[in-house]
Amino acid sequence: MTLAVELRSITKRFGSFVANEAVSLAVRRGSIHAIIGENGAGKTTLMNVLFGLLQPDEGEILIDGQPTQFANPAAAIAAGIGMVHQHFKLVPSLTVAENVFLGMEIVKGGLIDHAAQIERTAELSRRFGLKVDPTERVGLLSVGIEQRIEILKVLARGARTIILDEPTAVLTPQESRDLFETLRGFVAQGMTVLFISHHLEEVMEVSDTVTVLRHGREVATKPTSELTKSDLVQMMVGRLVSFDRRPRPPVAGAPVLAVDDLWARDDRGLHALRGVSFDVRAGEIVGIAGVAGNGQTELAEVLSGLRPATHGAVSLSGRPLAGLSPRAIRAAGVGHVPGDRLVRGVDRNASVSLNLLMGRQDRAPWSRHGVIDRSYLAAQSKKLIERFDIRTRSAETPVKSLSGGNIQKVVLAREFSGDARVLLVDQPTRGVDIGATEQIHSEIMRQRGEGKAILLISVQLDELIALADRILVMFAGRIMGDVDGGAVSEERLGLMMAGVDADGHAVKREAVA
Amino acid sequence: MEILERLFNVTLIVATLRTTAPILLVALGGSFTTRAGIFNIGLEGQMLLGAFFAVIGTIATGSPWIGMLCGVLAALALAFTFALLVVTFRANEVVVGLALNILAGGMTVSLLKAIFGTRGSIFGHGLVGLPVVRLPFAKEMGWFGQMISGYTPLVYVAFIAVPLFILFYKRTKLGLYIRVVGEKPEAAEALGISIAKIRYTSSLLCGVFAGLAGAHLSLGYTTMFTENMSSGRGFMAVAILIFSAGDPLRILAGCLLFGFSDALALRMQTLGVSSYVILAIPYLVALAALFALSYRARPRIIQETLASMGRALSVKPNTASQPNTASQP
Repeated sequence: MTLAVELRSITKRFGSFVANEAVSLAVRRGSIHAIIGENGAGKTTLMNVLFGLLQPDEGEILIDGQPTQFANPAAAIAAGIGMVHQHFKLVPSLTVAENVFLGMEIVKGGLIDHAAQIERTAELSRRFGLKVDPTERVGLLSVGIEQRIEILKVLARGARTIILDEPTAVLTPQESRDLFETLRGFVAQGMTVLFISHHLEEVMEVSDTVTVLRHGREVATKPTSELTKSDLVQMMVGRLVSFDRRPRPPVAGAPVLAVDDLWARDDRGLHALRGVSFDVRAGEIVGIAGVAGNGQTELAEVLSGLRPATHGAVSLSGRPLAGLSPRAIRAAGVGHVPGDRLVRGVDRNASVSLNLLMGRQDRAPWSRHGVIDRSYLAAQSKKLIERFDIRTRSAETPVKSLSGGNIQKVVLAREFSGDARVLLVDQPTRGVDIGATEQIHSEIMRQRGEGKAILLISVQLDELIALADRILVMFAGRIMGDVDGGAVSEERLGLMMAGVDADGHAVKREAVA
Repeated sequence: MEILERLFNVTLIVATLRTTAPILLVALGGSFTTRAGIFNIGLEGQMLLGAFFAVIGTIATGSPWIGMLCGVLAALALAFTFALLVVTFRANEVVVGLALNILAGGMTVSLLKAIFGTRGSIFGHGLVGLPVVRLPFAKEMGWFGQMISGYTPLVYVAFIAVPLFILFYKRTKLGLYIRVVGEKPEAAEALGISIAKIRYTSSLLCGVFAGLAGAHLSLGYTTMFTENMSSGRGFMAVAILIFSAGDPLRILAGCLLFGFSDALALRMQTLGVSSYVILAIPYLVALAALFALSYRARPRIIQETLASMGRALSVKPNTASQPNTASQP
C-alpha cells in the first residue's frame, strides 16, 4: 500500500486560534479520500497547508514517501498536487483552451500557439472524460462546465493528486453525478483524489476513505464501507443528532393566519400563485413543500408584503393584511425569516446588535423619543446571542464576518424574539451545517410551543417531516395536497411535488395554465 | 454643390488621417491601461507634457528625433508617477489622473515662462519638425498615392500600430496577461501573474504612446508648442476607450470619426462659420456617435428601469384587476 500524500501531526495557528491541531492524514494512491467536518472544522485550512498556500506551524508533509515543504502553490504543483478551489477563477472573455493554459501558454516564435493549446485541451478532455469544447468562451458556460475547466487546468499542469474544495456546493444533482463519475475515472487511472465536503450523502456515495475533522482535530479516519451516515453525523457534531420527527402535543389553537384564494404574479408577469387558500392555527407548524419555482417564494413575499397580490385575502385573526406595507404587516404581528438571508435578512455591514434591532428601532422599549436606548439594546443583544448560541466575537462584530449558520441565527433571534403571532420561515437551514440546523429546528419547535402560528417553507423534505404538523405541497402555483406531517413519506411527497395528486392522477402544467 | 465639392475630396481624407493620428496614438496608449483595469484619465497630461518636452529637446539638440525621445521620457515619468500612486499606494485613479493633468498644464506654462519668458506659444528658436515621409512609389498611384504619402512618421506609426495591437492582445503572453489582470485579477493572482507588475507595465506602455502622441502634436501635426495644445484630445480618447473597452479596431473607428469631424470642421471654417461652433463639432459628433454605438445595450436598461418603476408604483393593492378566471379549469 503506497501513500500518495501523508500529513504528520500538522498544526496551524492563526494568532491564538488553532485551526488545525496535530492533524495526521494518510491518503492511499488511487483512492478517493473525503475530508468531512462542519463549517470551521479546519478542512480548508488543512488542504491549503497541503497545497502550499499556508505554512504549517508544526508537522511534516510527505509526498510519495518523501518529506517535502511547499513554500507556495507553484512548488505543490511541481510535486504533482493540484487544487480546485470552491470559487472558480476563470476569465469569462477567454476560450476554454486559453483558460486551461493561462500562465503556461504554449508559445511558438514568440506568439501563443492557439491551435496547439486547443488540441492539447481536447486531448485532456477526451482522456479524462471531461466534456468541453476548447474553443468556446467561458463566459457562456454553466457552472458545471466551469468546474470541468478548473479540473482540466489542474490536469494540464500534471497533477496526480487532486484536491477539490466543496466541489458539489455549486452543482445540480445531475452535474454532481457526472463529477463523481469523472473522479472514479481518475482513480482508475492511478490518480488520487482528496475532497472536502459537508454533505454526508455524497461522501457515502463516492469516497473510499473518510477523515472526520472537528474543531481542528482529527476525530477518525475509516473506510467508508464501515461507516453509516449517522456515525458520520455523530463524529462531525460530537454528539447524537437526530432528524427524526419531533414529538409534540396535538394542535389545539384557533386559526390565526387565514389565506383565501390568493393570486399573484411573478417578476415576468406570469401567475405564480393561482388561488391558494389555507389556515395556520396558533401552535401549529404548516409546511410548504415543492420544487423550487412553484410559487413558494412568491407566497412568502405576498404574505410579508414584499409583493402585491392580484386577488384574494390574507388576514391575521380576522384583520385583513392584503395591501399593507411590509412595515405595517410586521407591526400587525407577522415575523419573516426570508429565504435569502443575505439580501433581505440582514445588513451585512451592520453589527450583530444593530441587525437584532432592525425593524423595531422606532418602538419602545428599544427606543424612546426617537433615540435608541443603547443600554437596553446591548442587554437584549447579549441575551439573544446567548439564547440563540450565535457564535460571534462580540455584539458589535459586523454580521458579514459570521458564518452562514450564525447569520441565520441572527435573523431567527430577531424574528423570534418579537411579539409576532405569525412566523413566516423560508428555508431556515439552507447552507447551514448540521449542528446549527438542529439548534434551529429546536428553536422553531419552541416557538410552536409558545403558540405561534408558523408557516415553514422548505425544499428539504426531511426538515418538513421533522417539524411540520401539516404539509401543503405546491405545484405550479396551486396547493396539490394537504397531508399530515406525521403520516406522510418522502416518496409520496416527492410524487405530489412532481404534480401527481393525492389520488395518483398526474396534473399537467398546461391544465392549470 | 460647389460648397460640397469644396468640402469633400481627397484632401479631406488626407486631413482626416492627419487629425486622427494624434488621438489614435494616445487612445492606443490608453488601451493598455483600460485593458489592465485602470481608468486612466491622465492621458491628457501625459500627452501635453510629451508635446512640451519634445519641443524643448528639439530646440536644445537641433534634432527632432531626440526631441521626440525627450517627449516620450517626460510622458513616461508622468506615467510612472501615476502607476506609483495608483498601483503601489492604491490612490483613487480619477483623483490622481486629474491631479497629474493639472500638474502637466501648470508645469508647461511655468516652464514656458521660465525658459522663454513668454506665455502662449513658442515656435522658431531653431525648432524643426519631424521630416515628411514621401513614399517612393506613391507618385505612380494617382489619388491613392496622394492619400497615403507625405505624412510625418508618427502618422504611419499610429495606423500601423492598430493591427500590431490586435496581434499583441490576441497572441502574446503580455497582451493576454494584461487582459486577464483587467478582467479577472483574482484569476491572474491564482496563476502567479503579478497584478502590480502588469499594471505598471501597462501604465508605462501607455506613457510611451501618450508621449509619442504629444511629440506628434508639436513636431508633426504642427511645429510649435502652445499652452494646453492637447486641447481635450486626451479626454476624448478616454471617452473612446470607455466605449471601445480598449479594443484596437473600435478605437480606430472612434478616432477616425473624431478625426473626420475635426477635418470637416476645419474646412467649414473657411466657409465663414463661427469658429466656436466649429471647434465644438468634432467633440459633439464623436459623443453623439459613441452614444449611438452603445445604444444597443440601452433598451435593456430602459426596460429594467421601467419594470422596477412599475413594480414600485403597483405595490398598492390593485383590486380592479382581477385575475382572468375564465381560463381556469
